[in-house]
Amino acid sequence: MIVLHAGVYEDSIAFWAETTESSDMEHQVSGVKRYKWCANSTQLRQVLRSIGVRGKKSEAARISIPTQKGMPVPSDGIIEGMQDTSSGKSFSDMYVETVTLDGLDMITLLCKIHAKRVLESGILVGADLAYLSEVMRLASSMVTRQQYLPSMVQDGGFYEATWMPVPTTEDYKQSMDMSRRMPGAVLAFSYDLTGDLPQGIFQDMLAMMINQMIFLQAASTVTGGSRSRKNFDSVHTSWLHHLRRTGDHLMDDTNAPQLLHQISEWQQHVTLLAKSQLRLCFRLEEPEDKGPWFIRYMLQSREDPSLLIPADNVNKAKTVFPKLSNPREFLLVALGQASGILSAITKGDAEPNLAGCFTDVKGAYRFLTEEAPALEQSGYGVILPSWWIGKDNKIRASAIVRKPNTKSTGMLNLETVVQFDWKIALADKTVTLAELQKLANIKSPLVQIRGQWVEASSQDIKHAITLLKKRTQKASLLDIIKMRLGANSPLASSGSADSVDIEIASKDAQISTMLKQMSSSSGLEEKRQPKGLKGTLRSYQARGFSWLAFLTRWGLGGCLADDMGLGKTIQTLALILQRKESGEQKNPFLLICPTSVISNWQREAATFAPDLSIMIHHGISRSKTKAQLCKDAKNQDIVITSYALLQKDIKIISGVQWDGIVLDEAQNVKNPETKQSKAVRSLKAHSRIALTGTPVENNVVDLWAIMEFLNPGFLDTLTSFKRNFFVPIQFEGDEEAAKRLRRATGPFVLRRLKTDKSIIRDLPEKIESKTYCQLTKEQASLYKATLKDIEDALNGRGGIERKGIILGLLARLKQVCDHPALFLKESGGTTKNKSNIVRSGKISRLVEILSEIADAGENALVFTQFVEMGHILRRHIRETLGCEVLFLHGGTTRMQRDLMVRRFQEAQTPTVFVISLKAGGTGLNLTAANHVFHFDRWWNPAVEDQATDRAFRIGQKKNVQVYKMICSGTLEERIDDLITAKKNTSERVVGSGEGWLTKMSNEDLQGVLALSTDAVMME
Amino acid sequence: MVVKDGIRAQSKRGDFGDSWWAKRWNQTLGEYNMGERLGRGRSYARNGRIKSINIQKGLVTAVVYGSSKYKVRISIDMIPTQTWEIITKKIFSTPVIAAKLLAGEMHEDMEEIFTKSGVRLFPKLNNIETDCTCPDWANPCKHIAAVYLILGEEFDRDPFLLFKMRGMEREEMLKMAGLQDMSPNKNAKKDKKSKEPEFIELDGFWGSHAKMAEPEVESIPAVHAALVKNLGSFPFWRSEENFIESMESIYQKASELGIRALAGDPSENDQGQ
Repeated sequence: MIVLHAGVYEDSIAFWAETTESSDMEHQVSGVKRYKWCANSTQLRQVLRSIGVRGKKSEAARISIPTQKGMPVPSDGIIEGMQDTSSGKSFSDMYVETVTLDGLDMITLLCKIHAKRVLESGILVGADLAYLSEVMRLASSMVTRQQYLPSMVQDGGFYEATWMPVPTTEDYKQSMDMSRRMPGAVLAFSYDLTGDLPQGIFQDMLAMMINQMIFLQAASTVTGGSRSRKNFDSVHTSWLHHLRRTGDHLMDDTNAPQLLHQISEWQQHVTLLAKSQLRLCFRLEEPEDKGPWFIRYMLQSREDPSLLIPADNVNKAKTVFPKLSNPREFLLVALGQASGILSAITKGDAEPNLAGCFTDVKGAYRFLTEEAPALEQSGYGVILPSWWIGKDNKIRASAIVRKPNTKSTGMLNLETVVQFDWKIALADKTVTLAELQKLANIKSPLVQIRGQWVEASSQDIKHAITLLKKRTQKASLLDIIKMRLGANSPLASSGSADSVDIEIASKDAQISTMLKQMSSSSGLEEKRQPKGLKGTLRSYQARGFSWLAFLTRWGLGGCLADDMGLGKTIQTLALILQRKESGEQKNPFLLICPTSVISNWQREAATFAPDLSIMIHHGISRSKTKAQLCKDAKNQDIVITSYALLQKDIKIISGVQWDGIVLDEAQNVKNPETKQSKAVRSLKAHSRIALTGTPVENNVVDLWAIMEFLNPGFLDTLTSFKRNFFVPIQFEGDEEAAKRLRRATGPFVLRRLKTDKSIIRDLPEKIESKTYCQLTKEQASLYKATLKDIEDALNGRGGIERKGIILGLLARLKQVCDHPALFLKESGGTTKNKSNIVRSGKISRLVEILSEIADAGENALVFTQFVEMGHILRRHIRETLGCEVLFLHGGTTRMQRDLMVRRFQEAQTPTVFVISLKAGGTGLNLTAANHVFHFDRWWNPAVEDQATDRAFRIGQKKNVQVYKMICSGTLEERIDDLITAKKNTSERVVGSGEGWLTKMSNEDLQGVLALSTDAVMME
Repeated sequence: MVVKDGIRAQSKRGDFGDSWWAKRWNQTLGEYNMGERLGRGRSYARNGRIKSINIQKGLVTAVVYGSSKYKVRISIDMIPTQTWEIITKKIFSTPVIAAKLLAGEMHEDMEEIFTKSGVRLFPKLNNIETDCTCPDWANPCKHIAAVYLILGEEFDRDPFLLFKMRGMEREEMLKMAGLQDMSPNKNAKKDKKSKEPEFIELDGFWGSHAKMAEPEVESIPAVHAALVKNLGSFPFWRSEENFIESMESIYQKASELGIRALAGDPSENDQGQ
């Protein structure tokens, strides 16, 4: 394992790393020891190459490393097999091998590792490097927005041309936040960490990165002339030249001091405003009666925007901001600067006492639409009236749909053609044609309807008038839905129609119910849960099921995006069961999921919907032709396959008539260009369901891909979608487009969070679930071999001897299920095989779930009964997820344990606590976790519950999710089944661990221990 | 003769300075009926023939290169201090006018304030005395015209320079108005010192990963180098290169890198989209 680090060193960063493979070379460079765990330059360059960075010179550099009792403390306990790495206050100078990075190299490294915890499995990003990457992000953002000025600094008689960052209020806030959580390691090459460090360090760091970015680009803007000249015709030419950094850093010019003075004079307006703790703020106030509008000037605190002082009270500002030497001058300068944007300051009727300025309705509208955003962008505060910020300030058109003439056809569907009339409303008040015509004559963008201000451009009003004048219209129900959602309304082509919101109020009960149900999940008619469902749906699950049933009834697709653990599986099974019971299902459902969860689906269906027949389309024995699959699938309710196979067998699978298609972990198809995504979209079925636990609504293109699967054509082609939504939202920050997209897709995405108030109420405080996984080939062959050995050993043995053999056997089989390295007693065994595949199916499933938990920002406990497994888990989780992993076992001292518990309970970022069951089953309070894994089983519910209770106890604020991990088709599953079956009848027999197993006959025992064919992972 | 480090007009053609007050200043020069000489003066100003300018209260001295080195003197009648007090009071009783002035702009009503106080903001011919060491018999000569024009352009940027020539400096006026000057360059040193005692607290040595904020969507501004443009051209610019234009191209290029960096790959060959 390698942990990457970096520190700032002058105008560059020194990149270095720690490694677990330490060399014990006792090197010394001029009396300074080599840091024992530092990676060598070959390793460093290898990492850099993998992200396309070359880097400058490699060198040994001196760094302050924290020490405890004279020993260096590495960043990660795994590096030295240490438990605790909380660093002391003492430091030692050591040297580490570094690669110096500047310019494009530095920028590339810091950009590419952004938001990553692991670069690749086993290569971790240290928090110090991640921190620098965040600083780089702020720098990039400021450079993009051009928040800097050309400048010059003087340092001991030397003059250097530089670029000075000019932070906006938001930039300022962010840099204050960031400077407060700077890791010492980023400064360890340049500063003495034992002393106090000046506040300005962060600003210097930010300025360094901004300068590096500008210098990199500025050099290419030189036109003609030699690039490396020494003589300049004037100090100004020299300054420009050095600002582009095309030659020396330092300006060697006798006129430099004079220039420095000129520069600071030139910059004074900007620096005066940028460095102040105040900003000027404008508040638009509505007229009283028929008077003019008023724009009030106020002074606003940058740190606390709610602190506002009216400008006519400017002298009071001094008592609130004692540091401000002259608020009045500040105010005047700021007003003067703002007058470039807000012309009303000088052109309007200004109040002589500085309170603000008057304007008319057109000026107010200009302020709302143009000047206020421009002022905000330039760093001024803006306060707008609530009706403007609120939603209902616009003109709204509704279509009143008439009762369709479907006496003969009866059942409505999306193709049914309906008639409708238009209705216009302003601020929720219906207006007549005459009223509209009157408003049109006012020709004002802001109009008042019964005391309420409304935005209505003359174009909008004109358009509304033409709509009202039109006679009855016709459209298909599908078009009505699209119009309602405003995705691609048929009116959009007729000019400014998209500026008119469309609402549909139907006079037909069936249609209005449908539309009502579509617009809010609360208006949804709740369906009774299907008879064949074992167990009771929680009320939010019943809602989710009803929602799916509603969409399916209309042949529409829906994406169920509930948080993990809320039971997407059971809601889906309920839907399929309902289709079957109502007789609507004529063909099987196709369920596509990642290979690792196939057996989980199978098990869950068997538990909750035993009436459903299931076929797995996977492995070598699967149906090979279209005809074969049609025949095999004919009498099934569900056919399960994996994404990988779907792609491979697309021709066969697409030849079958499906009732519905379910995509589990639908984020697999979020990239619309992949084969997988295209294959999924090519399938035809009556209904479509996508399941995902990760939010899809945040990424615009992801959303298109999933919507295109669910409801083809709804969001138009990808090309026009990119033009209408992706580019405006992603690159232009268009709020309106984002809102339109949310409205268009909202009815088809149902996402509930565990933290939603309505969900918490429904959710039990503890949810236990079984997580099924499969063995790898390596595990399967070890399992078989172990069983074979044992058959001979058991022959003719009895009594205590037999009991001992069986208990030993159980332990060994459990070890195989956990991990081959555990079974083979490989010390520090690798968790991956030569072809880089994880050797344990269970551990890879665990990491999959943990990764979702970490994404959600939550913490987990993982219990195992094997100490050695704990070591493997700790290392594997840390290396693949990069999150912090603590490990508690019998050898942990009391002090270490207390430290770890505290660290876990106070963790700011997702942390996993691996605990050996024997060491940590009791006593500890670990309520920071709300996920508990039983990686292997104790077969004793009481012991497991006791462990679970480390998290599930007083102080726990979230619902606790318990995962019992079981390898399907192995002893783990069968013993679990036996316990579940016997739980009620003979609690005492099974309650006592594994002993009862030894009393079984050899035959029964073989039945329990045997390996079924579906236990092994295919592919 | 080419003067390399001469002060150069930043306007390429047309008027020297865009503001109404620069134009008004230049009008005065027009009143001299200079004919050809004005044209020569314009090209002198644009080609950097002015070696140096020194502005004092009521007096401007400059060195201009013609066929040889000539000294130019322009002296202007100063407005008496008592009158300045009246003017200052008037300016600062109208916040809008004061605000604009402090931000480097003259309000349209400024001239009226002076007139109502019984003086002229822009001097008439009889308020100005010009002199040049060149052999040209005409006064003003092309050298004087060049200095005059450059001054107009500088007033454009900083109207306080015009006040200075009429006998009032910025700091003096602010004090008169009851505003002590607090421009940061004056207090820069003090500021730095006062910040010193604040120390940063490190988040441990190795630090801990922070929760990532939702990335903001950034876009390249429609107008480049807006901050620079906000401040106006650089005082007494002495380079063949146009300052604002040079800045524009640097800012634009830098923004392009910025947006690539935010997208995660700063190298140019992979521009995507």
